[in-house]
Amino acid sequence: MTQRERNWLLLAPAAAWFFVMLILPLSFVFVFSFGERGDAGGYVPAFTFEQYANLPARFAAFKNTLILAPLGTLAAMLIAYPLAYQLAVRTDPKWRLILLVLVIVPFWTSILIRSYAWLFILGGQGIPRLLDFIGIEDVRLIYTPFAVLIGIIYGYLPLMVFPIYVALDRLDKRLLEASADLGARPMTTFFRVTLPMSIPGMATGCMLVFILLMGEFLIPALLGGGKVFFVGNALVDLFLQSRNWAFGSAVAMMLIVVMLVTVTVYMRLIARLNTQRDDDVALM
Amino acid sequence: MMQEKVPGGTQEAEGDASMPVAELRSVSKSFGSVLAARDLNLSIRQGEFLSFLGPSGCGKTTALRMLAGFETPTEGEVRIAGEVVNDLPSFRRPVNMVFQSYALFPHLTVAQNIAYGLQQQRPRPTREEVSAKVSEALETVRLAGFEGRRIWEMSGGQQQRVALARAIVNRPRLLLLDEPLAALDRKLRKEMQIELQDLQRSLGITFVLVTHDQEEALSLSDRICVMRGGRIVQIGSPRELYDEPASKYVADFVGTSNFFEGSIASKDGEQAVLKLADGQTMAGTCAPGLSVGDKACVSLRPEQIALENAASDGAHPVTVLNRIFLGEHTEYLVSSETLGNVIVLAPRQAERAGTSYNKGDKAWITWREDAARILLSEQ
Ligand SMILES: Nc1ncnc2c1ncn2[C@@H]1O[C@H](COP(=O)(O)OP(=O)(O)O)[C@@H](O)[C@H]1O
Ligand SMILES: [Mg+2]
Repeated sequence: MTQRERNWLLLAPAAAWFFVMLILPLSFVFVFSFGERGDAGGYVPAFTFEQYANLPARFAAFKNTLILAPLGTLAAMLIAYPLAYQLAVRTDPKWRLILLVLVIVPFWTSILIRSYAWLFILGGQGIPRLLDFIGIEDVRLIYTPFAVLIGIIYGYLPLMVFPIYVALDRLDKRLLEASADLGARPMTTFFRVTLPMSIPGMATGCMLVFILLMGEFLIPALLGGGKVFFVGNALVDLFLQSRNWAFGSAVAMMLIVVMLVTVTVYMRLIARLNTQRDDDVALM
Repeated sequence: MMQEKVPGGTQEAEGDASMPVAELRSVSKSFGSVLAARDLNLSIRQGEFLSFLGPSGCGKTTALRMLAGFETPTEGEVRIAGEVVNDLPSFRRPVNMVFQSYALFPHLTVAQNIAYGLQQQRPRPTREEVSAKVSEALETVRLAGFEGRRIWEMSGGQQQRVALARAIVNRPRLLLLDEPLAALDRKLRKEMQIELQDLQRSLGITFVLVTHDQEEALSLSDRICVMRGGRIVQIGSPRELYDEPASKYVADFVGTSNFFEGSIASKDGEQAVLKLADGQTMAGTCAPGLSVGDKACVSLRPEQIALENAASDGAHPVTVLNRIFLGEHTEYLVSSETLGNVIVLAPRQAERAGTSYNKGDKAWITWREDAARILLSEQ
């Protein structure tokens, strides 16, 4: 066997997986999106742009997703960063592992069960009731965008904490000493060394969370109560309830396009951030 | 506020040459149960090149880090320019450090790395001032034109220079260097040693170097502080350490030496006589603090022993075991029935004069009595 043949052989499983799990279904969706809905639901072959013309009917779902997914990602990052920082930089290595495990423990139970917990906490018997108790009346939390946001942050936090933790853990602590040695106060050291050096971790975390959020449907279904729905909910609805596969496929294609565009823009932004030179000594 | 002009100057540290730049007073540092530094006393003089020398793990880095402000002494005082700085964080100390692995900022360019310290100064220097100083520093370390380079695009030797430039550009009172040349290959290390020395002389900055390489310490330093197990065992100029080691440990660590073990039989002022195990005696200059009966040894440097082809009064007969050509010198390993194996370093002239020996030859070794030093042998 030549080296070349061996390389192909090693690639084969991944290529097969890629084809069966991605290319093939995607091709179906692509073809379906130009078809029509059968009388009893499902799909009838055709070639029409009708489904795409119909997309504005799901505008609200796209709007919700494109507002709450980035917002949720950002909020998760703002909460995850100090947590990861505390774990990686401040915590005694003895305790680190235990605390890290505590961060993933919630993953051991189903997101469904965990979201139900929030349903209770944010529902009439939860926080609003406590607020009522101290005189703040008629607060509605459940089935609002806020509830969905809380659910998102809660569910995706560990996914954000880990890449940032890894970046901060790998950060050579001598760089922090070097910064202090050169006269930088702790705050300056953080903004000029720690933060820039952890950008790759933050970027990875945001990417992971954002992409997964774009397809999220469980949290909006439970905590949004049908009022705050994502594209994911629209898809579930179209494929499983109204059995309009053709329109569902068009929505799915649109979601993919939106995702490709946002992720590309995002990657460009990060790349520029990483190579950006310090303003102070620019062009030296 | 009272304003009174005192004639004859103030007690400002700046101009006072006799005031030490930094001092360690009875400084100890423990990490849990590990005593990394024990009762260090040291006064660092303005403008000197001082080295901490000792084997790995003897506490050199710990001592340096206490001066830099990265470690707080468990006991004692660290003073800089006369003031106790035990609780002064490193970013407030007029001290800069060249780290063992350089610790350059990988996300910044060479120029940004060097500018980093200047940008922390208050009042903040202008962009032009920073730029000019960075260029000057880069020229000093012979890296002009490398401003826009990334750290990872530089070789080890170049990174070393950047680290040096990043520290000296701030004109610190004290420049601390933790094994700065350890990662370089031998040839580059020699070059950098010369550059370090030139730099120290031209800048007039006080250098404190940590090294485990005795050759490096001997060739660079004005004074060397030999450490062992967290303690300072001797402080002195390279010549003092070499010629008047205070203990067998120092004699062994600084240069090479032949040791003959025994105990002190008699002592008269600086002179003493050592009785070896087989009963023979050797006279020499005695290190302070020894008394009759102490276990001690005679230390003889290889170049202080002469190899002769004829017997003379007090000479020891030997057989040549090995001969190594070292350029300017030839190193002989000879064996004496009474003294065991002895290393002798003969200058090239001796060979030119026709007195050269081969393996198996018979010869005699002699030395001047004042070359023999009697030292505490506790190893
Ligand atoms: N942060 C630390 N925690 C625990 N032990 C340390 C620490 N730093 C140094 N030590 C210990 O202190 C001793 C001296 O270390 P160090 O000063 O680094 O020696 P050197 O620089 O001479 O090789 C060693 O035994 C080392 O293991
Ligand atoms: Mg060290």
